[in-house]
Amino acid sequence: MEEFIQQVATGLSTGSLYAILALALVLIYRSTGIVNFAQGEMAMFTTFIAWSFINWELHFWIAFFLTLLVAGIFGALIEIVVIRPVERGPILNPVIITLGMFTMLNSIALRIWQGQPKSFPSPAVFDGAPLKLGPAVISRPNIGVFCMSILIMIAIYLLFNRTKVGLAMRAAAQNRIASQLVGIRVGRMLALGWALSAMVGAAAGMLLAPTIFLSPSMMMGVLLFAFAAAVLGGLDSPVGAIVGGLVLGVVQNLAGTYIDSKIDITVAFLVIIAVLLVRPKGLFGKQTMERV
Amino acid sequence: MTDVFLNRRFFFLALALALLAVFPYLHTFPFFDSFIDSYRTFQGMRFALWLIILMGLNILTGYSGQISLGHGAFIAVGAYIAAILMSDWSMPVFAAVLIAGLLTGVIGFLIGAPALRLSGPYLAIATLAMVIVLPQILKHDSIDQWTGGVMGISLSLPHVPGSLKDSATDDQWLYYLCMVPAVIMTAMAWSLTRSRIGRALVALRDSEIGAEQMGVNVSLYKMTAFGLSALYAGTGGALYVFTLGYLGPAEFDILLSLTMLVMIVLGGLGSITGGIFAAVIMTMRIDITDWISGAIPAGDRLGIDTTRGALFGLLLILSIIFTPRGVAGSIAHMKEAHLGAKIQDLVSRLLGRSRPKKDSV
Repeated sequence: MEEFIQQVATGLSTGSLYAILALALVLIYRSTGIVNFAQGEMAMFTTFIAWSFINWELHFWIAFFLTLLVAGIFGALIEIVVIRPVERGPILNPVIITLGMFTMLNSIALRIWQGQPKSFPSPAVFDGAPLKLGPAVISRPNIGVFCMSILIMIAIYLLFNRTKVGLAMRAAAQNRIASQLVGIRVGRMLALGWALSAMVGAAAGMLLAPTIFLSPSMMMGVLLFAFAAAVLGGLDSPVGAIVGGLVLGVVQNLAGTYIDSKIDITVAFLVIIAVLLVRPKGLFGKQTMERV
Repeated sequence: MTDVFLNRRFFFLALALALLAVFPYLHTFPFFDSFIDSYRTFQGMRFALWLIILMGLNILTGYSGQISLGHGAFIAVGAYIAAILMSDWSMPVFAAVLIAGLLTGVIGFLIGAPALRLSGPYLAIATLAMVIVLPQILKHDSIDQWTGGVMGISLSLPHVPGSLKDSATDDQWLYYLCMVPAVIMTAMAWSLTRSRIGRALVALRDSEIGAEQMGVNVSLYKMTAFGLSALYAGTGGALYVFTLGYLGPAEFDILLSLTMLVMIVLGGLGSITGGIFAAVIMTMRIDITDWISGAIPAGDRLGIDTTRGALFGLLLILSIIFTPRGVAGSIAHMKEAHLGAKIQDLVSRLLGRSRPKKDSV
């Protein structure tokens, strides 16, 4: 039983890593309807920028917020420069653009910062011995990531459901022409969506880097699982991203422990597909009806 | 009837087929040997493989509108089946390729079943799961006596049969081994997309509900699209074995699957010429980036790889922005735009004459 609880706790830790990047994916999908394959690489790139700030002997939190600012501008610029020209084209084109950015950012980061993993400081709050919760042990950075993803989730919820800007963003994503007719600056809303999601991605990168080390390939594995988590939870649901991430982490860990460590990923994905067959839009996704 | 033989399209087709037929010997002729070497024969073989594989993916994504991010898994399945049949069962090459293609097609048809309920990004991730999961399955103890586990399978490549030894090298023989099926399967795809099945798939893509109203059996055709594209990918995978000396579980990774999707969009979705352009770009992608980056000092290995990667990404973004419907789409667009008529119009205006009358609507 104790082993089981520890495995669940470890699963939750891994899952929170998936969840936080999944939140960034959900944010961008909700505000622009695009699945962003470059999300992980954007997060990696901005984390390297944070690393440079810290190397210039800036205080961690100053570097943190400065990076968020840079990431926001970066995200908005991407939307304006490369996404906007293809928005009206075939639906696959924005996805292909994000794949192009994926390759570009990865190569540029590799060129500038080389491949060897670098250590990234974790904020002082997370220092200290791992916490004991009953029989389970969880490291402090993992709890930090978990709390942060809950905070981001609440912020996204409040933004979309309690503010005028959020309402405008939802409208812009859902029906562009109608939004324009009621006076919403659709272009600005989409750029804002990209900016916010780049910021969440940057926060995710900076929080993950102390655990998984900073390198150009740090996000490859995480991104795929973040995708899976977002889809499992429902691509338009922030709550779904967190639940999806945690479920995925726990299933993967339990399958590895109790079934066969060599097929943990296989079992995790079988579970996802089984869930999708019952709920094709994810656990918390809005089930839509198509109009003829 | 004579019309058909005189028309321009037929002429270009015949020219292309003739070129493909003599391609492996081209580098032995004077004049051509100045810019073609025997490496191009190997590249021609790669082109044939990609032609088969991307043609299949284009049937699935371009014609029926289903997105697959895990197509590499079908290639891997075809490659493994063929490799096992040839090395463990010492089956003749032709039979192995045929069986590998057909079996992969059946597997693809069955995998199409979950696709019935999923669409868009949800379907994309479900297909992505195949290519994430497959290496774990291939490495698993229960089947590693056939797949060779982490070690993979070492292969001995087929040689020229004795009777042809004087007239062809191994590479030239392999080229024909791949190119003949590629041409046949392209012709099959061409006729398929103009048949009842092809029209049903397009109807499905444009409006699922609409297609159903018109009496298209949506479930059956979706699964058929998956089955057909898996048949192509499996055949391509079986032939792919001939370009490798070794087959391992990590050979067909996620990046490859994503690159294939990128290629069919760059070539032009939903058209046969688009599939051909996609295969050309896929084969030549490293030559293209190297050709452009020739001016940039790259230095070491890392420098070369990162320059290639960054340029590839940049070219990708630029070509999607400037040719949103792919190479084939742009060509069709230019034809439709009646460039000739526009120029005539412009000339007559410049000369101060009245504009040619347009048909009234």
